[in-house]
Amino acid sequence: MNHDPELDPASNARAAQLDGLPSRLAVLLAAGAALGLLVNLVHPRAVRFATFAPPRVCSAGAEQAGAPAPPAVELLSLAQVASLCGDPRAMVADARSAERFAEGHVAGAIHLPCASSRLAATAALDRLAGKETLVVYGDSTEEAMPVAEELRRRGDRPGLRVAVLAGGFPAWSQAGLACSSGPCADCGPHR
Amino acid sequence: MTAARISPRDAGAWLLRLGLGGLLAVAGLLKLRDPSGFAAEIANYQLLPALAAYPAAILPATELVLGLSLMAAPAPWRRAATVGVAILFVLFTIAVGSAYARGINIACGCFGGGGAAIGPLTLLRNLALLLGIAALWTLDASRRRPPSVAPAQPS
Repeated sequence: MNHDPELDPASNARAAQLDGLPSRLAVLLAAGAALGLLVNLVHPRAVRFATFAPPRVCSAGAEQAGAPAPPAVELLSLAQVASLCGDPRAMVADARSAERFAEGHVAGAIHLPCASSRLAATAALDRLAGKETLVVYGDSTEEAMPVAEELRRRGDRPGLRVAVLAGGFPAWSQAGLACSSGPCADCGPHR
Repeated sequence: MTAARISPRDAGAWLLRLGLGGLLAVAGLLKLRDPSGFAAEIANYQLLPALAAYPAAILPATELVLGLSLMAAPAPWRRAATVGVAILFVLFTIAVGSAYARGINIACGCFGGGGAAIGPLTLLRNLALLLGIAALWTLDASRRRPPSVAPAQPS
């Protein structure tokens, strides 16, 4: 077996393939990064490095943030939310999984499982037209809070009151308030 | 007039370049429409979410550049782009696999906003893309490889 690269055409070919590859790769990546930063400079929906705040995620809860920040959305008690039921100016959104939604949810609630799904958030915002109050709930207050915050941020409607049901669905269910069950009719691919 | 013969290997490499490069370029363009929203999508993976703004600004254009290079650049640059795309696909697969393993219910964000929640199908798709880029590298390498035993030239 010949290991001398000078005498082995296959080794020479492999060496030729890799010749200059790292530098070309670096150029391509640098070009992509530079183009991205340039586009971001002039983009109307640019991401701002200094002020970017990641949305709090559905499953991690608020404990990640260290010292708890004051809630950006309103907390409503069971009685306050119950009084909004049937009000055409209010909408209730369920932030839990499709399976949990199917097992039982606040009567009339739409399914909006996670702040990360912009399709779902956009659809919800479309349905918010003409509404004055949006109440989000999850299996806990913490689960619903990031969804509510995201909706408030995306909704961009100063008059819109976004709130979270304190205690979430367990509290609602235990209080014997109106529930319904069944799969989400318009969840689409989101679970 | 004689038509140039294209070997199945060349045709396969060409189709892979077009498919993978086109897919990546389209994904980059779609993400470029909303960098702010893409940053939120990245942050939702919970992998250094505070730093999500940086890949959100850089990644879409990088995908675009690599995708276009894969399709249309001269061969040495295509090889570099192939390696770059492979690195991206590995990173994407790790991110999706990690989020899925942790039970995080999020949209993939692979083609800009929204989309289906990540799951086994997302992982399978990413693995198929990785296989595709590996196949492209192999096809390109075999096209350039000379015969292992060079016939002796008569003097």
